Amino acid sequence: MLEARAVMVFYENMLALNNVNITCPDDGVIGVFGANSAGKSTLMYALSGIILDIQHKERMRGGERITLFGEVVHDGEDITKLKAHQRARRGLVLCPERRRLFPESSVAENLSIGGHLATRAEAKETFDFVMDLFPALKKLTRRAAGFLSGGEQQMVAIGRALMAQPKLLLLDEPLLGLAPSIQHTVVESIPHIRNEREISVIVTEQYARPVIPYVDYAYIVENGSTVMEGTREELLGNPDIKAAYFGCG
Amino acid sequence: MFYDILVYGFIQSAALILMAFGFSLVYGVSRLPNFAHGAIYVFTGFIAWALFNTVGLPYWLSVLLSILASGGIGVLIYYVILRRVRGMEVSEVIATYAIGLVFLEGLRYAGFRGGTYTLPVASDGVSFIFDVPVDHQRVLLMILGFAMVALIWLLTKYTRMGRALKGMAQDERAAMMLGIDSDATAAVAVALGSMLAGVAALIIFPLGSLVVEEGYKVLIYAIAVCVVGGLGSWAGTVIAAFVLGYSQYMTVAYGKPHFQMVVMLLAIIATLIVRPSGFFGKQKQLEERV
Repeated sequence: MLEARAVMVFYENMLALNNVNITCPDDGVIGVFGANSAGKSTLMYALSGIILDIQHKERMRGGERITLFGEVVHDGEDITKLKAHQRARRGLVLCPERRRLFPESSVAENLSIGGHLATRAEAKETFDFVMDLFPALKKLTRRAAGFLSGGEQQMVAIGRALMAQPKLLLLDEPLLGLAPSIQHTVVESIPHIRNEREISVIVTEQYARPVIPYVDYAYIVENGSTVMEGTREELLGNPDIKAAYFGCG
Repeated sequence: MFYDILVYGFIQSAALILMAFGFSLVYGVSRLPNFAHGAIYVFTGFIAWALFNTVGLPYWLSVLLSILASGGIGVLIYYVILRRVRGMEVSEVIATYAIGLVFLEGLRYAGFRGGTYTLPVASDGVSFIFDVPVDHQRVLLMILGFAMVALIWLLTKYTRMGRALKGMAQDERAAMMLGIDSDATAAVAVALGSMLAGVAALIIFPLGSLVVEEGYKVLIYAIAVCVVGGLGSWAGTVIAAFVLGYSQYMTVAYGKPHFQMVVMLLAIIATLIVRPSGFFGKQKQLEERV
């Protein structure tokens, strides 16, 4: 179980996350929905520990001052101070916004770099799982990742994150910039990941409609604060939310 | 004359690959410009010399131990100093250059001056390549120059650590998300780079004598090759080593040997004016603009 308790993030004096509390139970699929710059990616960085690296790099180059408050608790342990790679070792793996594949490496190599934490047997087994999950990748294993289409890249990115043997997968805007048909393939993979690998998922998205059928519980973020939360049914039953985030009246 | 240039230009290129590849590897993986590269090169040579002459170990063992020592120095430099300045670009240059000065001027201060220190060659024999006589040390240099590139390539393809290096080189933060420890991987890169400098020293020094000034020369050569090839690009490093290696040998053949350094410095200036990202730096340059 992962919990964010009263997490606040300041970029200089700008409040990017304000007192955010989020809980993701084992085996759950949690949605985080909100407009551009609502703080979704910052939340993902805070959960995955990347925010510490951003903070460190900014401080080193004399850039933005980033201040963090609150705590992140994973399986009962406070991991607020753990670096991203240490959190990945605990099973907390981020599949970042805009994918960030290794562009010069082939698809197979992207996946094998992703398997840094996996044993040889795990890596092989996960590789096969990824190929079954996204059969479109089977023909592309030797292609450089930089030359793939957005949808293919997203599949590789999810596959690469799975290779790290996560217990909780953080999917940051997996549908960004994808055609609707590809969006479908990508979100369809979420229940497979949850059911067949017993991985819980936190997925963020601007536009909730394609994702909402797959989540158990969701949070709505506006200007860095969670303004609403509830189970899928509760959110779908709320007319304001429906109009604003699901695009149907 | 033509075959002369062909063969000796090739040897010069292989030497440049050996000198520059470690620098390129460190920069590619950790974005640290290791200005202590030349100092580690010279220092490894003196370690081998001391182990062989002062301690009296067999030469092969001295070579092995001094290369391991250079790797150890690399790890130490990373964890004690570079880790603290990584990300501050000007401090990175100042710190690594200062480390280099400490090593080189320390050696000079300790009395290691002049051309009296030499390392033995592997074999005194001479082979003929296209009827051009080449001594065996230079044959070894050619073979090892490419063997090292092949070795690093195999490492990045088939080992977990190598793949981590490759991931870090392309996107450090994405690598972190996958559980790759940025500090440990950067330390490995610095260690490998230092060991490559050590290997280069132990092959190239027996051709002349151990002199401290070589450290500055090797650093400038390595930077020239990396700037022309595109910083951090391994393919660029190899190609630039050939372009510069042949240009250097041509200046020796048709001009004067002491213009070799001019070739390198002009190459840096010309590259920075015409194509600042070097042969293979295009993608990186684009990234910076975005």
